Amino acid sequence: MSLSCIIVEDLQVAANYLKNCCEKSGQVEVRGHFSNVTDALSFLNSNTVDLIFLDVEMPGANGFELLDQIAFSPKVILTTAKSEYAYNAFQYNVSDYLMKPFTYQRFMEALQKIQPSKETISTNSASDHIYIKTDGKLIRLNNDAILYIESMGDYVKFVTMDGKKYITHNTIKNLEEKVSKQHFLKVHRSYIVNLHKIDDMRENLLFIKGNEIPVSKANKADVFRRLNIV
Amino acid sequence: MNHLKTANAFVFNAEIDANYLNSLYGDDYNYMQEVFNTVLDEYVSLTDNIEFSHSSGNLAALKASVHKIKPVFGFVGLTSVQQQCQQFEQICSTVSSPDQLSGEFEALKNKIFQSKLLIEEEKKKLELFNSNCS
Repeated sequence: MSLSCIIVEDLQVAANYLKNCCEKSGQVEVRGHFSNVTDALSFLNSNTVDLIFLDVEMPGANGFELLDQIAFSPKVILTTAKSEYAYNAFQYNVSDYLMKPFTYQRFMEALQKIQPSKETISTNSASDHIYIKTDGKLIRLNNDAILYIESMGDYVKFVTMDGKKYITHNTIKNLEEKVSKQHFLKVHRSYIVNLHKIDDMRENLLFIKGNEIPVSKANKADVFRRLNIV
Repeated sequence: MNHLKTANAFVFNAEIDANYLNSLYGDDYNYMQEVFNTVLDEYVSLTDNIEFSHSSGNLAALKASVHKIKPVFGFVGLTSVQQQCQQFEQICSTVSSPDQLSGEFEALKNKIFQSKLLIEEEKKKLELFNSNCS
């Protein structure tokens, strides 16, 4: 077993089927099945798991409310068919959707999206932040706080969630090698973006908190590959 | 799975999409029996929710309760009923009250009732088939 998971699902037949798929895969240990958010939250307050199979519509509270309340960031596979959750799913870094009922093959495809990421997390576990030198001091920026990085010739500008801009002497090419591959992607010769902060994409533009970021033709395929489009 | 089961494949009612079930469970008829059992165990509470939300005039709850039961039909191969639920959900989005859905609701309610009888019948057939094969 390489992944621990819980199943949050109020439909018994779906939960049983999911358990069966997990057992059959030999890759996922089911540590619990909960039919509502409250019970799942109670478990997650004292336990961590790698992965949550999460139904969205459940009595009491919906699945996203669970994600809002837990103190860590497990991988999430939604078990719902509703496309209107796509925006929320994107915000919560959901790895995949499984439309019930799904085949075992489809289940395995979803798992494959999780496994490589787990390795990435492991290799980059120490780099959930970077330090940049600006105004004569070193400033720590958490990956989650950075929206994007923009080239300014021999300098780059870090734009953060709180609207601040930090300018430092560096290049996009150099930074591309140093930032967390899990969070960041070069989308243009002048831009690296935080994949978790993208609001939407239209044509050759990404939108991040009101900022338009161009996507180059050369990088477009990479962007699509990393967006987990379903 | 033993050879006898493979040689004498189970024949589902024509309303059930056997190919779809095969894509989910292969030829594991014991597991299918388990699935049919589980579905029947939770069928009443799921249909009660639909009835209650309709009678209380709660359109959002009605839509949610039909959405909830929808995949159940997929698990037992009743893909046409699953589609009927999907269509009903879509219609719910176009009206402002369950009263405007009387025809569609009655049709769905009848289909859900008939489906329960069909699932019960298939479960019995599966039990017999599996006991003969064991």
